[in-house]
Parts: sequence; C-alpha cells; structure tokens
Amino acid sequence: MFTKDKMVTLIFFIPSLVFVAYFVYVSIGWNVVVSLSNWEGLTPSYKIVGFAQYANLLGDPVFLTSLTNNLILILLFVPGALFLGLFLAILLDLKVRAEGVFRSIYLLPFSLSFVITATLWAWMYNPSIGVINTLLKTIGLGFLKSGWITDANIALYCVILAVIWQFSGYTMLIFLAGIKSIPESQIMAAEVDGASGFNLYRRVIIPQLTSSALSAFVVLMVFALKVFDFIYVLTGGGPGYSTYVLPLMMFRDTFSMNLFSYGAAIATLLFLLVLVIVVPYLYISSRRGKE
Amino acid sequence: MVSITIKNLTKTYGNTIAVKDVNLQIKDKEFFVFLGPSGCGKTTTLLAIAGLVEVDAGEIWIGDELVTSAEQGIHKPPQERGIAMVFQDYAIYPHMSVFDNIAFPLKIRGVNRNEIDESVKKTAELLGISQLLNRKPRQLSGGQRQRVALGRAIVRRPKVFLMDEPLANLDAKLRVQTRTELKKLQRELEVTTVYVTHDQVEAMTMADKIMVLRDGFIEQIGTPDELYNHPSNTFVAGFIGSPEMNFIDCTLVEEGERLSLDAKEFKISLTDKTFPELRSYIGAEVIMGIRPEDVYESRSARGTTQDNTVKMTLDLIEPVGPFLLLHLRAGRIPFVATVKQTRAKVGQEVIMELDLSKIHVFDKKTNKAII
Amino acid sequence: MRFPKLGRVSLYVLLVFLVFVFLLPLWTMITTSFKTVQDVIYTIPLEPPLSPTIEPLISSLNIMERPLLNSLTFTVAATILSCLLGSVNGYILTKIRFRGSDMIFLLFSIGIFIPYQSVLVPLVLTMSRLGLYNSIGGLILTHTAYGVPITTLLFRNFYGLIPDSLIMAAKTDGAGTWTIYRLVVLPLSLLPFVVAAVFQFTSIWNDFLFGVTLARGSEAMPASVALANLKGTTEVNWNVQMAGTLWYAVPVLIIYVVLGKYLIRGYMTGAIKG
Repeated sequence: MFTKDKMVTLIFFIPSLVFVAYFVYVSIGWNVVVSLSNWEGLTPSYKIVGFAQYANLLGDPVFLTSLTNNLILILLFVPGALFLGLFLAILLDLKVRAEGVFRSIYLLPFSLSFVITATLWAWMYNPSIGVINTLLKTIGLGFLKSGWITDANIALYCVILAVIWQFSGYTMLIFLAGIKSIPESQIMAAEVDGASGFNLYRRVIIPQLTSSALSAFVVLMVFALKVFDFIYVLTGGGPGYSTYVLPLMMFRDTFSMNLFSYGAAIATLLFLLVLVIVVPYLYISSRRGKE
Repeated sequence: MVSITIKNLTKTYGNTIAVKDVNLQIKDKEFFVFLGPSGCGKTTTLLAIAGLVEVDAGEIWIGDELVTSAEQGIHKPPQERGIAMVFQDYAIYPHMSVFDNIAFPLKIRGVNRNEIDESVKKTAELLGISQLLNRKPRQLSGGQRQRVALGRAIVRRPKVFLMDEPLANLDAKLRVQTRTELKKLQRELEVTTVYVTHDQVEAMTMADKIMVLRDGFIEQIGTPDELYNHPSNTFVAGFIGSPEMNFIDCTLVEEGERLSLDAKEFKISLTDKTFPELRSYIGAEVIMGIRPEDVYESRSARGTTQDNTVKMTLDLIEPVGPFLLLHLRAGRIPFVATVKQTRAKVGQEVIMELDLSKIHVFDKKTNKAII
Repeated sequence: MRFPKLGRVSLYVLLVFLVFVFLLPLWTMITTSFKTVQDVIYTIPLEPPLSPTIEPLISSLNIMERPLLNSLTFTVAATILSCLLGSVNGYILTKIRFRGSDMIFLLFSIGIFIPYQSVLVPLVLTMSRLGLYNSIGGLILTHTAYGVPITTLLFRNFYGLIPDSLIMAAKTDGAGTWTIYRLVVLPLSLLPFVVAAVFQFTSIWNDFLFGVTLARGSEAMPASVALANLKGTTEVNWNVQMAGTLWYAVPVLIIYVVLGKYLIRGYMTGAIKG
C-alpha cells in the first residue's frame, strides 16, 4: 500500500541505503574481485587468477614482517592501553577534586588527529634536538639517550608507546563509566563487609568491569590492525621495514607501486581479520542487550 | 550486651539538615525501628551508626565502645564496628555466586576455608536458600536476592543488624510473609536490630520500640502501643494508624461543671474529672483527634442528647477487606469511621458516637498533645 | 574510600605528573611554534622561546592556508549531510519499524568497524569514474557516505529513548509520519545533533587516509595531508612544522574545550551499546 507517507520515507531512506550498500558492501566485494585478478599498473585488469596474489603474499618477506609487526602491536599496545586506562580510571575514582579537569586532559590526545600526534612524537623522538633526548640530557640521564625511531631495533616500540599515550584517555573513559555504573549501595555493602581500598577494587569493582574492558578491547584491536596514519607520518614504515604494518604495505604497494591486485589482497585479509574480532563482539553484545 | 546510644547527633548536607540533635537509647536485643516519611533523616541516622557517613556533631556508642564522636574526632570504620547491614536494593555482588556473596565478609577477614564453608551452609539453611548456593544473582527472584543479602549479614554473627527498608522492593504478599519471618529470625538470633522504614504498618507490627522522625527531628520515641494510644503530637497521631485519625478544629469551652469541645457544627462534652490537664486551655483553640475505629453508630435511643454524639450525613461507603469505611460529614466537617457493618444508606443522616476514652486533644498552636 | 593524609598528597602528585606526561608533546608544540631556528637548536623544547617570533606561524600558514580552507569546507559539508541522514535513519529505524529494520541496522553497524583499506581501490575507481578524483566534492561524498553508519547509530540510540507513546499520541492527533518527525522528534534532537556534529567534525577533520588517497597532490588537498607533506620535506624546520601542526590542531582544540562533553558522549556510544 503505497501511501504518500511511505513514499517520502523511502525517498529519505534510499540515499543512506545506497551509500552503505555501495560504499561498504559493493566496494568490499569489488575489492575481493580485484584481489583475485592480476591488475598491475595503471590500466585495470580483471583477469581472474584465483588465489595467486594471496599465495604470493605468503612468500613475501615484507608481508611477513608487516604481519608480525601488527601482532606485536596487538600484544603490547592493547594490554598496555587497557592497563594504563584502568589505572587512570581508578585514580580518578578516588574522589579527586577537579576530576573533570584531569579527565579532560588525559582524554585530549585521543581527540587529536594521528597526523598531529605523529608529528609531535617525531619531534619528541628526534635524536639530535628532540624533546626526549634533550630532556634526558638536562636532568643528567644523558646515557639513556637513544636513536629512538631511527633505531630499527626499537622503532616499533617507540611507536607502540606513542599510541598507548594516545589511547589511554579513551580506555580510561570507558572504565570510568563502568566503575560509576556500580550502585553506591554495593560499595557501602563492601565497606561494611570489610573490603576497602585495594580489596574493594580487586574483589568488587574490577571483576564487574569485564563488559567495559571488552568494548575497549575491540576498539583497540581494530585499531592495532588498521593503524595507518600514525605510522605513515611518524616513520613511514622505517627504518627499513621495522615499523611496516599491513595497512601501510597495502597503501604503498597499491598506490606507489601500482600493484592493485596485490594490495587488494592485503586489504581483503585485513578485512577478514577485523571481521573475526568484530562479529563475535556484536553478537555477544546484542544478546546481552536483550537480557 | 550490645546496646546503642546516640547523643546529640547532627548531620547537615550543605544547607540542608539531615538530622538534628537526635538522642536515643537502644537496648540489647531490641528491635528498634526508625519510622518516618522520605527525607526525614532515618537512613542518615542508620548510616551514621554504620559509620558510612561522618557526622557534624554528636556521639555514638555501640556496646561500651565510643565509635563516633564528632567533637573528639573519633570515627571507627564500618568494618570494625561489628555491624552488618541489609540495603534496600540488597546490594549483592552480581559477579559472585550466592555462596561467594555470603562468604565474602568471612573471606575478607581471612577466616579459613572449612569454617567459611560450614558457616555459609548453616546460614543458607537457616534462610532456606541452600539449593541456590551455586547460582548467580541475576538468576534469582527479588525475594531470593533479599535472603542472600540477609545471609551475608547474618553469617558474621554481628553485634548489630542495620536494615534500610529491606522489604520495600518486594510485592505486597511477599512483604507480609517476610515481615513475620524477619521478626522470628531476629528473636532467634537475639541480635540488636535497627530497622528503617516509611511504612507504619511494618513498624507497628515488628518493632519493640519506634522512633518517629520528621525533617531531621525526633517527633516521638515509644513502643507501638504508646505511639498509637498516646501520640505526643498531631504528626505522630496522623502518621500512625490507617486510616488516618480524624482531626477537628475546636474551641475548649466551659459549661458549668463540664468542659466541651465546640466545633461549631457540634459539641462534645467531656468531664474535667477525667482530664485535669485541660483546665488551662479553656477558651483556647484546640484540635480534637479521634481514630476512625473509635467512631461508631449510636445504638442508644437517646439520640443527640448524649454527650458524645454527633449527627452526621453519610456520603460514601468504602468496603475495605473485612471492614467498611464510612465517609461522613457533620455539617462541613468530614469524618471517617471504621465499622463492621451498617444499615445506613448513602445520603442518610446517621447518629455517630465518639468513644470519649479514646479522644485526643492537641494544642492548635504547638500541635502537641494535651491528653 | 578513606586514605590517610599522606596518601591524598601523593595521589595528587601522581595525577599532576601524569598531566605533565600527557601534555608534554602539546606543550612543546606551542613553545616550538614561536621559536626562531636559533632558539630551536639552542634551547630545550620545554623552555619558552628566548626571542618569540610569529614567523613560523606565518610561513606555515602560507603553505597550509588553502588546505585548511579545503578541510573546513568538506568537513562542515560532510558533517551536516551525515548528521541529517543519520537523524532521518535513526527515526526510521526506531519509530517506523518494519521487518528487517534490525538486520539493516546490523549491516549499517558493520560499516562503522570496517578497515577502510578494504574499500580503497574501489573508492578510487568510483571517484575517478564520477570525475570527483582530486576534488572537494569527492571528499564530501566519501566522508558523508562513511559517516552515515556512525551518525545513524548515535541517533538511533537517542531516538530509542523517546517514548513510543509520544509518537502514538501525535498519530491519534492526526499527524503523518514526517509531520511527526518535523514537529515532535526534530525539536527534541538538539542534543544528538550536537553530539553527532561534534563527533563527525572531529573525525572528518582528523582524517588522513581518504585525503591522501583521493586528493594528494592537488588543489583539493586537505590540511592533514599538507601537514604530513610539510614533515616529509627534507628541509625540516621544526618551528615551522610545529606551527603548521598548531594551525591544524586549533579547530579541534577549540571544539574540545567548548563542546568536549558532547564529544565524550560520542565516544561512549560505542561502548555502552549492548
């Protein structure tokens, strides 16, 4: 029954449906098709070669380095940001005056562009006149000076430290919300039961933060997989390939070396990895929502 | 011997007074109720006893120990006061099983595993929740959660029980059932109990002694009987008893040998032999109070000539369970009477008698009871 | 939670130390932006400039002026468009329920999480076919399309809180679906619009990937790309670099200070849902 109302609704809804259908789903499908082709160079070619590109990836040392780096990122960055965020949230929960001010300050880096923060950290890590080395020299710890991001051995860890700095405010925010959602009466009950201070957090508060931790975890994991802007600007993937990651490899191979099908394969892989993390999470959280 | 003594307790939040100059004495093993409308300060006082809030003035003793003193800067933390508390929303830990919830206070104190096991099982049996020990709170009903909260409180064998409206979230039937069980439990365990509620029926049925609070001040402390039959002011008189007491503005006049309450529409004669305190109020404005159950249909044939009769018109008959509530009017003054049955019809004139032995007279200016 | 006096003091000391840690890079951005090249080399970054100068600000502005305007243009346009669409979608998904609306919402939600690398190649092809490669229009279209899922989520969560009874009352009063939207729902939407707008502005302004893919070396270059290019030049003058960063950071900083709490609400949405 096509009333005027329904027509208008359709007209209003269609642009969004088209956008999402085309720019998300059709595009992903298209990308998969490209990954199964042999497009190299500036003229598109859709000759299907099966999984050849993917097979090439497995033998590509740059790919393996990038994948390893992404994994190292996941293993260090995700727990790092979670713990620092939890630590900050607990600190701020201790009835601090001007809590809002501290909270805003710790959250500020998260709202800044990765281009900005990468540029700032490039300045921080600059070996000759950068902030960290100069600071160390001034306070007498000059022997700790290092090449930081110019040192292939530790460049990746410098990157990880910087992104932990950027994301801790966000995880702090999530945990704070979780802590504050615990009813005051429970805290009072715990106090009466004899759990205060450390025990209170350990036995009563933190165990109830699992759903907060989970949602922060998903966001952090997805970032660890698709981090591009930050590394592109801070190190460009170097020195050598020590800070190369999959998104960066995809970008370079596709747009600098014109290996479109190869790049599309990396992108598809990235998509699947993210899907593996996000879909179970969405499923669990929609089930919880119905409880 | 665990008594509780409170002296001059005062607590303010900014400009609002939560409680002021509260003085009371709770005896060992007593079931003591703090009663009053929302915001009257009953929960604040309870939290002060628990040590969960700090006070601005006053002292609190639990047993022989001075646990709180604003003047001396003493404040013993809650876990050292030997108290256990049951909250209105039960406040049980959602991430722990029923067993762990009840075991929690013991675990924190480092009690050994076997002892914990035994105590928890015994407590669970006492409360009839042994079969729920492995479940999580979200799988339990409201009544079951309440028992878990109780179990957590009992398991430590505390010196004092503090309860903050523990029945408020239960449905009516469960509430009545649990009321009796709670009282029995308290008798069995012989623990001094302080119980907060806004429900006067609850207070009247459970308490050994009641303290009525309003806006942070004590209105009256007494046994249920005292509060019901000898309320010290109009607030207590109106708050306790359902349906509410009838209040009528009158003037106290002298007629020869007798004193009368003149309500313009009618007069009730009293003899001053029974009520000597009234002498000084002659000519003054007073409030007469009479409970609905003490207003009844006149059986005598003497009609309105008797001292205590009033001619009223019946406006409405409201059946309430085993009784009838009669809504009447004497002229423009409303009356409510509780009777078992009546043959009167709505719109009819009825002659009602007031039980003179149950009349209360209050000073209109101070609202305090004269008799 | 009571802590002894000494505990409170060390707590605040720790918090202030953390403030230092978190703001250090930003502080040096500010100090360095006003230093001459000499100062940059000879003073430590923490110190304010010995001879302050606005020269870095000016030279960076010369380079970044056009890109900043570009960013402003497409960010504002895409923010407005994606918010409007989000509001409409949120309304349709919560108040005009139909079979499959949950499914559609789930499909939209996945759009929030996808790594954009997986649509980059098709995106470039699409834009060049539409003639929108290297253009502001292309950026507007891209950011609007990819912004719709998150704005839809924000509005859906908010509109879900509007009682159905309100809508039903309006219906019985004779209002049609879109009249209800205009007269009942929209007036209640100030808060979600602010939250969505602040969130979108920040996200789009901060974007780099789409900018560097679709408008790299052209007239339509966004400020983020210009800034990255600034760093990429071999002659790195840190004072100009920092000044450029400062220019780029200013709009987001202003929004953060003034409308920060709305941004925070936006961040929380993903977490609280479900």
